[in-house]
Amino acid sequence: MKSTRTVFLFIAILCLTESLLGEESHWAWLPLNPEIQKRIASQDLTSQDIDAYIEKRLESKGLQLSPRASQRVLIRRLSFTLRGLPPYLGDVEAFESYSDQEAAYSRWIDKFLKSSSYGERMAQHWLDLAHYADTHGFERDMRRDTAWRYRDYVIQSFNKDKPYNQFLEEQIAGDVLWPGRDEANIATGFLAAGPWDFVGQVENKSPVSKRKARALDLDDMITQVMSTTIATTANCARCHDHKLDPISQKDYYGLKAVFASLKREERIVNPAELTSNQQMIAHIQKKTSELLRELRMIENSGLSLADIVGGGDGWGSGKVGLGIDPRTGSSVSMKRGGLNPSKVNIFSTVNSPFIEGVFIPEGQGGKAKIPYNSTGDSLTGIPSTSKATWDAIRKGPVNSQHSPSLAGVDFTKGGNELLGLHANSGITFDLKAFRNELKTDALKLSAKVGYFGSKGSFFADVWIYVDGEKVFEVRGLKRDDGLKDVEIKFSRQARYMTLISTDGGNGYSHDQVCFTNATLKNSNKEKLNSEQIKERQLKIVSLQNRIHTVSRPLDRLRDPQKFYGTVSEKTSPEIRVLDRGDTEHEVGEPLKPATLPLLSMLDHRLGDHETPEAERRIRLARWITDPKNPLTARVIVNRLWQWHFGHGLVRTPSDFGKGGEQPSHPELLDALALQLIKNSWSLKSVQRLILNTKTFKQKSQYLDGALGQQRDAENRLLWRQNPRRLEAEAIRDYVLSMGGQLNDKAYGPGYEDFKYTQAYAPIYQYVVKDDRDHFRRSIYRYRVRTTPNRFLTTLDCPDLANITPKRLTSTTALQSLALFNNEFILLHSRYFSAYLKKKGREDVGEQVRLAFMLAYSRSPNAEELTESSDFIRSQGLLAFVRAILNSNEFYYID
Amino acid sequence: MSTPIYHSSFSRRGFLQLTGGGFGALALNCLLADPSGSKTHHAPKAKRVIHIFCPGGMSQVDTFDYKPALEKRAGQPFDPTGKLQFFASKPGKCQPSYWKFRQHGESGRWMSDLFPRLATCVDEMAFLYSMKSETALHGPACFMMNTGQSLPGFPSMGSWISYGLGSETQDLPAFVVLPDPSGLPPGGIINWGAGFLPSVYQGTGFNTRKGQSPIEDLFVNEARHKEFSKKDRATLNFLNKLNAQHQKTRSGNKDLEARIQAYELAARLQSSAPEATSIESEKESTQNLYGLDHKDTQAFGRQCLLARRLAERGVRFIQIYCGAENTTAKKIRPNWDSHEDLVRDHGYWGKVLDTGASALLKDLKARGMLDETLVICTTEFGRQPGAQGGKGRDHNPGAFTSWMAGGGVKGGVGYGKTDELGFKAVEDVIQSHELHATVLHLLGIDHERLTWYHNGLEQRLSGFEGKGVIGEVLA
Repeated sequence: MKSTRTVFLFIAILCLTESLLGEESHWAWLPLNPEIQKRIASQDLTSQDIDAYIEKRLESKGLQLSPRASQRVLIRRLSFTLRGLPPYLGDVEAFESYSDQEAAYSRWIDKFLKSSSYGERMAQHWLDLAHYADTHGFERDMRRDTAWRYRDYVIQSFNKDKPYNQFLEEQIAGDVLWPGRDEANIATGFLAAGPWDFVGQVENKSPVSKRKARALDLDDMITQVMSTTIATTANCARCHDHKLDPISQKDYYGLKAVFASLKREERIVNPAELTSNQQMIAHIQKKTSELLRELRMIENSGLSLADIVGGGDGWGSGKVGLGIDPRTGSSVSMKRGGLNPSKVNIFSTVNSPFIEGVFIPEGQGGKAKIPYNSTGDSLTGIPSTSKATWDAIRKGPVNSQHSPSLAGVDFTKGGNELLGLHANSGITFDLKAFRNELKTDALKLSAKVGYFGSKGSFFADVWIYVDGEKVFEVRGLKRDDGLKDVEIKFSRQARYMTLISTDGGNGYSHDQVCFTNATLKNSNKEKLNSEQIKERQLKIVSLQNRIHTVSRPLDRLRDPQKFYGTVSEKTSPEIRVLDRGDTEHEVGEPLKPATLPLLSMLDHRLGDHETPEAERRIRLARWITDPKNPLTARVIVNRLWQWHFGHGLVRTPSDFGKGGEQPSHPELLDALALQLIKNSWSLKSVQRLILNTKTFKQKSQYLDGALGQQRDAENRLLWRQNPRRLEAEAIRDYVLSMGGQLNDKAYGPGYEDFKYTQAYAPIYQYVVKDDRDHFRRSIYRYRVRTTPNRFLTTLDCPDLANITPKRLTSTTALQSLALFNNEFILLHSRYFSAYLKKKGREDVGEQVRLAFMLAYSRSPNAEELTESSDFIRSQGLLAFVRAILNSNEFYYID
Repeated sequence: MSTPIYHSSFSRRGFLQLTGGGFGALALNCLLADPSGSKTHHAPKAKRVIHIFCPGGMSQVDTFDYKPALEKRAGQPFDPTGKLQFFASKPGKCQPSYWKFRQHGESGRWMSDLFPRLATCVDEMAFLYSMKSETALHGPACFMMNTGQSLPGFPSMGSWISYGLGSETQDLPAFVVLPDPSGLPPGGIINWGAGFLPSVYQGTGFNTRKGQSPIEDLFVNEARHKEFSKKDRATLNFLNKLNAQHQKTRSGNKDLEARIQAYELAARLQSSAPEATSIESEKESTQNLYGLDHKDTQAFGRQCLLARRLAERGVRFIQIYCGAENTTAKKIRPNWDSHEDLVRDHGYWGKVLDTGASALLKDLKARGMLDETLVICTTEFGRQPGAQGGKGRDHNPGAFTSWMAGGGVKGGVGYGKTDELGFKAVEDVIQSHELHATVLHLLGIDHERLTWYHNGLEQRLSGFEGKGVIGEVLA
């Protein structure tokens, strides 16, 4: 094929020199430099050594390091690179008062490394590599509400300076290496952090298309693990042998055999906690149910229909949220959204003595004979429906119910109960069972019914039939109608009571019909004398006390914590090569699990066909963190360098293969890697070394025509520091902090800067709110994949479907508009302005000085002071801060 | 001004991706590119593209792809073996087109009665009958049609084109998207995302709701922030002073200069965007041509008319969505995804598309713009020739029809064939890759030479597996 040939030609030229020498010579796969290793074994690498590596190359080009930047520039640079936040005002003012500036600088490094915002800053870099988000992505983009635990894990790990090898092992195989440790389980959120195609893998009915979606899902996982840890583009070998690196298709599928049984799923953090909780609940429920039954009988409070629908005995053992699928009669706990397409007028029995069964009604304009019991008796008189329903019949509310309240009462509280009967559904109760349980022939139903969907033109119909005869009917029931009383006394012969809701002919959307506090009770009132009444009261109180005592331990029980991670089977499915990546064309024998055969010093085989899933992942993790693996340490020290200089020594941080770049300073890269391993993989220790170099501390400013610019325009040799524009998230945090509004609440579920609407594809509408919960650091943002926050996207926040090893920075007119006019900027301009007014009192000069200190970490010069003061006097403080929050100096770090 | 096309991917990569912050200035150059300065790989036939996207999956057998055999087999089981399983159902009986097919124009191309107005344009249109998709899922299939890949995270066609050619205008973005006013298509705004390309190349979604500002944050919210807006000009002047002072000691850093220019461009957008979108200034007869006088057709008609106005003003790539996402259940499906009642939903959307798209073609032609404006119309996949339930059709990634017209396209031709029932493309089978290669070709770009390095590969819009440009539809 023509196109492929061109690629080959291009590649051939590209790696001519390397391919002549053979694969073995590619720098990244060679062992770490043995000479440097010897040197470091006897003497630790110092910041001066790092400078020496840099200066050596500069000298060869006749260049030298730029002079040291001023303390004010350095504290700002340091604070942003380590914390992603501006330095505190007090710190800036104190900085220059120290006599020994170098010592002061080193102390700042230590202080920032210790601050908790350090982990928040580093986590952003790491989550970029994990393409972490809080929704699944793809078409339906549903919520992933427990994903944040992994985000917190990353922040905490950086803050603790967790050894990097352990950090990786936990994220790849923590759940099987240390299953008893919560942290190690949560760490595997890494494997699941990327997007997941719910429609493709679950909703879709075509097996071919499901296999395809699944293959891409695993590819995403493999790509993430291999590119993050060893900067290798294994994914290029899915459809054909890698065009540049010696990775065959077989190698790719061998690697796939390691991941093959992993599925993204919500998991319990601590499975043991769940089991013990469940045991305790069951134990207590058993004890209370008898007591409750006795109590309710005495009170004649009746059997609760909602409780029965929720799997209970009618006396309170049922569970809110449990329900019955009207298509099958089976019990359902999962939320459903659209039971569609469904079979109609088919009666399914339910495993409960009180419930005869359920169905989805379709009345064909009143003509249809709708079976209402298992013996096939039918009822008529129901209108035509849309032949589907939204959710199960539940101990309510139903899934995504508009509101649990109606007529001023919240029916999830104060002992109230809802029986959710979303249109179109029907349920038949067996009155005989109620008579037996209540030991009476006189039964009555008492309840209210209402439309719990939203206001407007939405409505539904409600029907009650007894033995196929209509006894109750409300047509066009709307929210505004409030609650309707339902009181029905049954004859002694009545056998079946059927509750039905239908959509009123306008589609079933919003038709959340609920019966409230629906009970069947004895309609005969016992006549008691005063003695008997007193005795009865005593009995009731005594029972209540006993129930309370027995169930007290439940109050202390918390729901088991969950996180979004992966689950796996004990054994892995067979994996074969897929011809051209096509899931329908398997070729060859099943493959044994293996990693990529790039490194001659390590065995790439990870087991045989029988090796359990857990062991496969453990071996891969250990292969990656083996100190002999030269890639892992090189890759992470290069990332550290990039995080502090804007570019790595290798500027393709997630591709150390032949398609990537050569390192600008290979010896320095190896020296840093070796020192990292020697320091027990402490990232902070290597960062401390890097940040204490003259190279880091030099100026970034340069004038047009500088010598360095002529000889090394790209600054590969580092004759200056790189000025950097802040990333989207840092901009947001910075703006928040200007007016003193940054909320430093750490950890936990993220803040949601959008209005969420449940729908087939949920709708996320972004809002700017004057609300402290919204003022947390951007790392705690609830990240939505398919509907990203437009303000942040405009400022180059990357697409969360992508692994982002390196942020790109663009400059656009839309950015200017966003920063000049967006509600968020204006809101915090007001806070900034109010802060200056308060602190600077009415002194305009002091207001200007404060603003410069906060925004630029420096004082204004005389000219700036005059011009700014004049501007404030003529145009006001608001206009002034708006200009500051748009200025280049604000967004660029020297 | 620099040359926006990068002949050697490697030098471009060196320049753009690897240099210290050198990117901002260049990105701005693309937005501000001088039209005469832009150099293409070969002489372009089209200067700009209008892309109509019909999300949900338009049925080929009810619209463009005439299948007499389906009429003969009407009522017989589509899959007697019972082995086939589609996205949501097993196939029912063979269901011929709900609308009668007729031949039209000098070319005699077939079109169904669903499109009476487009039928009068067939001699301008080239039909691609043999398109297929890798996937039967809306989101991934939309991504595929827009980016060439079924996974999210890749740059859309409009992004690649603005990266390659920059803008024709200094006053408007190079890539504008006009979503259905009722909502976003499946997969959301990343359908016009820049993927791994710099965000400067992402599509700018215009608000297409009547009476609302076309661009977010174009102006300060007057009602809430009057004290800001009345100081706009003075604030900008002061901002320029601050920036000029800052730049004095940093003249080497061109990004700073670019950021200053971006504020100038933003100010120009504030006047150009409202002007470009004020369709009320159009003659009544023009408004009526686009169906603005009818409640069903007015929304899409507005989008089409807006597209023509933006094209006139030099926007390089304009994408129009004819339909939204499958949101909550409505009387009529919010897009072409006609599972349960095809006559109802295709009937509605067919009239919408027919009115807007035919008006666009005729209007462009009348203004002499059709020759250099490439109009394409796609969907993400087709629908099954066998019925779903009683009246619907399920997803069919095996066959669908796209059409192209204008800028360098040979009118009245058809390319490729589906089998006799319209179930699978069988002759000259193509995917998004070939369509994308052809669009790039018409714009003067060699699709193999417009690349960007990402995740181990020099990525390109047209992928590596495609057959390249579809020569048969070139004029």
